[in-house]
Amino acid sequence: MHEWALADAVVEAAAAALGDRDPSCLRGVTVLLGELQAIDQEIFTFALETILADKHFPAGIFRLETENAVFGCQSCGKEWDLDAAADLGPEQREAIHFLPESAHAFLRCPSCGSPDYRLQKGRGVSISSLEVVDRKGCV
Amino acid sequence: MTDPRAAVVGKRLSGIRRVVAFSSAKGGVGKTLCTVASALAASQAGRRVGILDLDMQGASAHLFLGVRPRLPEEKQGILPLTVRDGLSLMSVAPFTGERGLPLRGSEVSDAILELLAVTMWGSTELLFIDMPPGMAEEMLDLARLVPRMEALVISTPAAVSVSVVERLLSVLKELHVAVPALIANMVQEDSAPVEELARRAGVRTTFAVPLDPSVEEAVGNPSLLASSAAGQALALAMRQLGYL
Repeated sequence: MHEWALADAVVEAAAAALGDRDPSCLRGVTVLLGELQAIDQEIFTFALETILADKHFPAGIFRLETENAVFGCQSCGKEWDLDAAADLGPEQREAIHFLPESAHAFLRCPSCGSPDYRLQKGRGVSISSLEVVDRKGCV
Repeated sequence: MTDPRAAVVGKRLSGIRRVVAFSSAKGGVGKTLCTVASALAASQAGRRVGILDLDMQGASAHLFLGVRPRLPEEKQGILPLTVRDGLSLMSVAPFTGERGLPLRGSEVSDAILELLAVTMWGSTELLFIDMPPGMAEEMLDLARLVPRMEALVISTPAAVSVSVVERLLSVLKELHVAVPALIANMVQEDSAPVEELARRAGVRTTFAVPLDPSVEEAVGNPSLLASSAAGQALALAMRQLGYL
């Protein structure tokens, strides 16, 4: 349940963007959940709602979207997705859930076997949009 | 796109009194030994100490401590591995074991930020960071994310080490990272070259740690490491620096 720590980070980032404006100035936050980290959306949403209760943010301002993981090999140029990692064991999946970069310890390019690749999309938790209105536009 | 993790790093470290990066621009000067032996001394003195091993490619603090890597427990974040009462450890080793972790620069930054954002240090008072050699992502990211961090800079008395470490001291000054002391490690006769470096760099204090062949036998045995000549010298340094 380290989803709590990441939900906390999202709320803190939103609070930082809000600054000293009224919480009602925060109109929408879109959170992108990368496939590689395999965030449990139910736990993440529950954590967000629980943490938000103390912040007096308007209800329903957080939207969750998901992004598929895409890897790109630096050696041969092959691009691939997580379907190519079907034989990862549960401990390896758990390690990647905690620290997505640990994928580099377990996954290799399915075409050339190189360990030199980049995660191009779908890593972990990020904020894709954050809408804050000016003080005079707030309730 | 906004990365939310940086917003929570200060909160994660807010209960920690001092954050100290054991640093050197040179590899092989004993950064991990100094980090671990210093943490053992502080822990024995009753301080609650965390070790954060940020050497992604060469994590080895767990080897010095005799800790078998295992996935961490979760509690609204991830918990560092308990080495013993008052001493905990986080690194990439709990996730990757003894496998190699070939990362490029931006991925190193991502891994550092993730560990800082999700590790719950609890009642830890002192966080000792075992840095990889150099002044790349690890140093630059920490200076940005943890501006109150201080650095204990390690060099052997060898001319090459002193020369390379002098460059690091210059960069640390530009990054506004405080350097309370230099540690002259693996000293056989005298630590004068490191003391002279300290004078040139405006660092007030130098601690000399003797070259101690028994350290090799102490790898994996914290009690032996703490009682070694190197361990005792570092314990004295920790006391004089006010960490204990």
